[in-house]
Amino acid sequence: MIKAEHISKSFGDNVVLTDISFELKKGQVLSIIGPSGSGKSTLLRIITQLERADNGTLNIDGDYLFKSNGERAEYTGSKKAREIGLKVGLVFQSFNLFPHYTVLKNITAAQRAVLKRSKEESEEKAIVLLRKMSLEDKAHSYPFELSGGQKQRVSIARALALDPEVLFFDEPTSALDPELTREILKVIRDLSEENMTMAVVTHEMAFAKGISDWAIFMDKGVIVEEGSPAELFDSPKEDRTRRFIKSFEE
Amino acid sequence: MQLLLQLLKGTGVTLEVFSLTLIFSLPLGFVVCAGRMTRILPIRWIVDLYIQIMRGTPLLLQLLFFYFAPFYIFGASLPRFWAAILAFTLNYSAYFAEIYRSGMQAIEVGQYEASKVLGFTKAYTFFHIVLPQVIKNIIPAIGNEVITLVKDTALASTIGVIELFRIAQTASSREFSTIPIFVAGVFYFIMNYVVSKIFDVVEKRMAYYR
Ligand SMILES: Nc1ncnc2c1ncn2[C@@H]1O[C@H](COP(=O)(O)OP(=O)(O)OP(=O)(O)O)[C@@H](O)[C@H]1O
Ligand SMILES: [Mg+2]
Repeated sequence: MIKAEHISKSFGDNVVLTDISFELKKGQVLSIIGPSGSGKSTLLRIITQLERADNGTLNIDGDYLFKSNGERAEYTGSKKAREIGLKVGLVFQSFNLFPHYTVLKNITAAQRAVLKRSKEESEEKAIVLLRKMSLEDKAHSYPFELSGGQKQRVSIARALALDPEVLFFDEPTSALDPELTREILKVIRDLSEENMTMAVVTHEMAFAKGISDWAIFMDKGVIVEEGSPAELFDSPKEDRTRRFIKSFEE
Repeated sequence: MQLLLQLLKGTGVTLEVFSLTLIFSLPLGFVVCAGRMTRILPIRWIVDLYIQIMRGTPLLLQLLFFYFAPFYIFGASLPRFWAAILAFTLNYSAYFAEIYRSGMQAIEVGQYEASKVLGFTKAYTFFHIVLPQVIKNIIPAIGNEVITLVKDTALASTIGVIELFRIAQTASSREFSTIPIFVAGVFYFIMNYVVSKIFDVVEKRMAYYR
């Protein structure tokens, strides 16, 4: 579904990603862990087109978003890029709901404006998703009336409403307290049981281990180690990985 | 009675200056704001300088300038009324532009990013996501500016526009009485009372979200 090869990215002199390659297969869940500043968000932002890669190749669901010509990443045309963009959804740490829209409109706006669905169809879809998120009674509330966990569930519903092929989560629970975190982790777990293809950046080690089919540990812009969750979390080969995972154990 | 009629007539002129200035400067402020935020450097420098001048020199001086300067340069002045409108419009556009800009900058980058990831076009993002929030953000500041404008219109008297203040002043010196000035004060007060009530209502209507 996603195939990344040799992606690199710098901000000025600051090299943020070096030679990142990985693969995410349909129906699988990938977790990405690593210390602050290791480039996890930047990687997700390149895949969701919020940043541009300097070099590398990225194939999403059979289409190339960009291809390396040896020197740098050559991007596909903007029309194609938009098309590819619709296949990936992103859930932010800070929710980024639209404060002036009701919960319902947060979920229907893009369906209508981007996918040109009818009002009825998009609302129907929104209601189904809200029910799934146990939020059907909040359809007409505004984001400021919701708890953090509820906001994050709305933002997940907003992303799912566009039927993405892959959903990316960038520390979806980092702004939440433990109880609300559990709430969101359950939603993501439920999605994985429906075989939603997902990649999750998270500091919730037990969750990452439990949910993912494949795990990546990044540090300073490189993939230090990757493997099945059992390998990576229980018997990491690299010293850096071991130390990082251990730091979450107390 | 005679006096009251005269003052009412002056109020009419004051309201004309007031509304024409708003009609021109509220939209023009958008253009200035765009110029202030453009990536094209020469334009930004010029617009920057323009805003600095408009905010850094007395409005009174600007009024005199727009009335007298065309005479020295072209040998003909604008009619007093239109010179006043020109000066007020250029001055208030600069202030409105700065208010718009701060309103734009208060929008979190996450709003743009969420819009982008959801596939909204730039135009859709601006008109449906950003602009409504900007408008809500800037209503109080615009309200302050509009209230100041009501009072500033009195400055038009200095270039001989026969508006409320000028009529009150003339009547006062003719009749050796402060009553006309006092009545004019009441008129200004009433106008601004109405303005601030209108803005209160607008603010309340936009308070459905935070
Ligand atoms: N827009 C930007 N401009 C300049 N530097 C940036 C930008 N975005 C990120 N960086 C830098 O890139 C590096 C990696 O940042 P990134 O946000 O990808 O890390 P992260 O792994 O997501 O960290 P965290 O766990 O704190 O979220 C950091 O050094 C950061 O300062
Ligand atoms: Mg991050």
